[in-house]
Amino acid sequence: MTVALDSVRTELAALLGVAGVLTDRAACAAFAVDGIVPDFIATPSTAEHVASILAFANEHQLALIPCGSGTKLSTGNPPKRYDAALSLRKLNRLIHYEPADLTITVEAGMTFGEFQELVGRDGLWLPLDVRGGAQSSIGGIIAANAAGPLRQSFGGPRDMVLGLKIATTDGKIAKTGGRVVKNVAGYDLGKLLTGSFGTLGVIVEASLKLFTKPPARATYLIRAGTLEVARDLRGRIRCSPLDPLRLVVACSDAGVRLRDSAPDGGMSETDLWIEVSGSDRVTRRCEQELTNLSAAAGADLERVGKAEEVWDRIADPARWLQSKYPELSILKAALPPRASEEFLSRGRQQAESEQIGFAGFAQAGVGIVHACLLQQTLTPGTAGAVVKLRQAAEDLGGTLIIEHCPVALKSQIDVWGARGDDLDAMRKLKSAWDPLEILSPGRFVGGI
Amino acid sequence: MKSIGLSNELASVVGEDGVLWRAEDLMLYEYDALSSMRQPDVVVFPRNTEQVVKIAKAALRHNLPLIARGAGTGLSGGSVATEGGILLVFSRMKKILEIDLENQRARVQPGVVNLDLSVAVADDGYYYAPDPSSQKACTIGGNVAENSGGPHTLAYGVTTNHVLALEVVLPSGEVIHTGASHWDRPGYDLTGLFVGSEGTLGVVTEITVRLSRKPEAVKTILAIYNQTEDATRTVAAITARGITPAALEMMDGFCLRAVEEATHAGYPMDCAAVLLIEVEGLKESVEEHADEIEAVCRENHAREVRRAKSAEERDLLWKGRKTAFGALGRITPNYYVQDGVIPRTRLPEMLEFISTLEKKYDLHIGNIFHAGDGNLHPLILYDERNRGQTARVILAAKDIITRCVDMGGSITGEHGVGLEKSDLMPLIFSENDLDLMRRIKNLFNPDGRLNPGKLLPTGKMCGELRGGLLGGGTA
Repeated sequence: MTVALDSVRTELAALLGVAGVLTDRAACAAFAVDGIVPDFIATPSTAEHVASILAFANEHQLALIPCGSGTKLSTGNPPKRYDAALSLRKLNRLIHYEPADLTITVEAGMTFGEFQELVGRDGLWLPLDVRGGAQSSIGGIIAANAAGPLRQSFGGPRDMVLGLKIATTDGKIAKTGGRVVKNVAGYDLGKLLTGSFGTLGVIVEASLKLFTKPPARATYLIRAGTLEVARDLRGRIRCSPLDPLRLVVACSDAGVRLRDSAPDGGMSETDLWIEVSGSDRVTRRCEQELTNLSAAAGADLERVGKAEEVWDRIADPARWLQSKYPELSILKAALPPRASEEFLSRGRQQAESEQIGFAGFAQAGVGIVHACLLQQTLTPGTAGAVVKLRQAAEDLGGTLIIEHCPVALKSQIDVWGARGDDLDAMRKLKSAWDPLEILSPGRFVGGI
Repeated sequence: MKSIGLSNELASVVGEDGVLWRAEDLMLYEYDALSSMRQPDVVVFPRNTEQVVKIAKAALRHNLPLIARGAGTGLSGGSVATEGGILLVFSRMKKILEIDLENQRARVQPGVVNLDLSVAVADDGYYYAPDPSSQKACTIGGNVAENSGGPHTLAYGVTTNHVLALEVVLPSGEVIHTGASHWDRPGYDLTGLFVGSEGTLGVVTEITVRLSRKPEAVKTILAIYNQTEDATRTVAAITARGITPAALEMMDGFCLRAVEEATHAGYPMDCAAVLLIEVEGLKESVEEHADEIEAVCRENHAREVRRAKSAEERDLLWKGRKTAFGALGRITPNYYVQDGVIPRTRLPEMLEFISTLEKKYDLHIGNIFHAGDGNLHPLILYDERNRGQTARVILAAKDIITRCVDMGGSITGEHGVGLEKSDLMPLIFSENDLDLMRRIKNLFNPDGRLNPGKLLPTGKMCGELRGGLLGGGTA
C-alpha cells in the first residue's frame, strides 16, 4: 500500500460513512484470501460508492478483491497484492421485477437464497445449483460463472445474464445488455464479465432471465457398481427420449455420505443420480424408461424421496466435506462429455496410488467432473497427483482447474493450468480495463 | 486502377478464379438484405484459414478495409463495404469439418449453410438449434457475427448459447483460438465476445457448435383470432401458465394473406391474427402442454385452434412463416423490417401503437414476429420511387424503436446494429457504456479497418436511423 492506512480510512469514511470502512484485524481476518489478510474492508451501499472506491483505489494503486459472500474466493491463484476487500453485501436491493416477463434486475450483493425466495413466491426460479448455495451472492455467481448439474437443462449464468451494470477502475458506471430476453445491441460484454472472477470490473447490478419452476420433480438412484456400467447407462439415457433435469455419475471408495438417512451414506462405489420433472404422468413414463434402461444394464433403480440434500452435496462438495477433510482439494475437469467416466476412473486410480481418499462427481451430460482429494493434512504427493490428473484431463481433450485447495498447494501449482494462443488477447483486455491491476491482481489465468 | 494490382496480388493467394474485381461483378456484392451502399474494391473467395491470413495481411499492407460476408442475408447492412476495401466471401469455406455425435459437437467452416448442418445430422436424431428464417441460405459464420436468433430460440437460446469455440483471424493476420470443444475453458469468454461482434473484432474461420437432440414429440398449434389484442394477450397468458413453448410466433392478417397466397400453407385469409405455437419433448408432456395451450387460446377468444396433423402440415405452416418476408415482396415494391424488442407483457400496447402509426404516416405496416420473446418485426411497406413515402417510413420506424426503448426494450433483438442502427446506439447506451465497447474495438481492430462503419456510432447522425439507406433496396 503506497498510502497510509489512516488517510485511507479518513478519505473513505468521508465517502462511505464510518461504518463503511473497517480496519480492525478481526474483521479483516474474515476476508483473508489464500492466507493474506487485507488492511481494510470497504462496504459500499450504492453503485456510485463502488465506483468512487475504484477511482480512489486506482489513484493510490490499492489492490482490491471484490466479494459478495466469499463462498468462491478459494478459486484463484494467491493475489499478487491485496490491500482491501470490497464487500458488496450491502448492495442487495431489488431494482426491477416483472414476473410475467420472466425477468428481474437485482443488485449484485443479494444472496441467492433471498433471490430464490423472492421469485419463488411467483413460482419462478433461477435454475442454478451452485457452490455456496443460498449463501452465495448473485454477483459472485456471475463472476465465477458458477453452475452445477442443472446446467445440462438450463445452461449456466452465461446463458441467463441479460444485462449487467458494472463499476470500472476509472470510477465510472457502465452497463451492458439490457432487461429484455433477446438483445444483440453492441458487444456482449456481459459474457466477458461472466466468469472473469472480479478481474475486469465490479458487477454491481444484474438483469437475469427467470424460469418457471417445474411443478414436480423426482430423483432416481441407479447403483451402477462400476464406471463401465455407468458409462453404458449414461449412453443409453442420452440416446433415449428422456431429457433429465440433472444427471450425475458419483463414485467414491472413501465411504463419503451423500445421504445421512441411508445406512451406507447413500453411496455405493459408482452410482448414477438422475432427476426428472413433469406431471405425475410424465414422471411415471420417465420412471418406466429408467427402469427398463437399468434392467438392460443389469443395475437396480431406486426412487429417492427428499433428494434435495443429495443434490446440494453434489453441487457443493466442499461445504460438507471440509469439516471432515480440512485440507481437501477439489479439482474441476472440463471435458468432452464422453470422457467423464474415463476421467473419474483415472482420478480414482491416481488418488489410490498416492493413498489419497477420492470422491468424484461427474455432470456427465456437460462433461464437468469434480474430483475431490480427501485429506486431513496435505501430503507431499498431492501436487504430483494434481499434475497427473491435469495431464489426464488434457489427454482426454479437456482442461483442469483447482477449484478449492489448501494455500500450500497453490505455491506448487498454478490453479488454472494450460493457456491457449488467446492469452495475449486476454492480457490486453485486462490492461485496457484495469491498467494498474487493482482488481484481484494475479488471481486469474496467466497471472492476470 | 488500384484494384487491378490488388486483384493480382490476391489471385496469387486464392487463384485467378477466386477474385472478382470488374464493376459488373462487384455490383452483386454492394448490398445485403437491408439495402445497397457501395461496392467493395475487390471480392475474394478464400478456401482456408491460411488464405484468410494472407488476405488479412494484404489488407493491412494496403491499408484497406476488410469485410467478411456469408450469404448476404443480413438485415442491418452488416456485410456491406461502406468504405470499399476487400470483401471476404466464405462460399468456398463450407465444409463440415467434424461431427462428433457422442459429444454432441460439430466443427464447421464459416460458409456452411445453417440448415445444411441440421440436415447432415438429422438421420441420427440431432439438429443445430438456432433457426433464423433465412436458414436455407444464411451461413453459420454470418450467424456467429450477428448472434442470430430464430423462432425456436425462445426455448433453446440464440447462436451464442450454442457456440463453444472459434478460430479467429485478427486484422494483423494473427490467428487465435477461443473457447474449446468442452465447456468452461479457463480464461475470459472471448468466444462470447466475438459472437455478435458483427465482424468488427476479427474474421471467424472455424466454429465449434453444440448439436441438440431432436425431441420425441412435437406438436404445432395454429390459433386463429378475430382480434389482434386477443392474440397478444394469449402470449402473456401462456407465459403466465409456466409453459415455455419451443416457439411462439405471431402473424397479423395482412401478412397472412400475403403468405397464404404465396405458399398455400392453409392459413386463414379472413382473420386478424394467428399464433403459431410449438411444443416439444416427451409425448406425454407435449400432449399436456398442447391441451393447456389450447385452453389458454380459447379463454382468450381464439376463433379456432388447429393442430398440425402431420409432419407435412407442420412443415408447410413453418414454410409460410419462414418465407413471409419474401411473400410480402409479391405485394409491395419495397419493405423495411424493424427488429425492436419489448418486454413481452407490453405486446398489446405496442401493437396498438403501431396501428396508430399506420394512420399517422399513411403507411401499411405488417406484423410478423417472435411473440414469445417480445421480438417485433414490423414490416413497413413502401415504394422507393415515392420519396415522400420513404421519408415517412423512416419516421415511423424511428417512432417504433423509440417506443421500444421507452418500454425498457432494445433497438435490436436479432438482426444486429450494423450500419442501420449504429447511430441509434446512444438511445440505449450512455457514453460510459459505449466507451467500454470502444476500448474492446480498439484492442482488436485498432485502425478500424475491419468492417468499418458498423455497430458503434459513427458520430455523424447521432440518434438517427440511417434512413439514407432506404431507396435502393427491394423486397
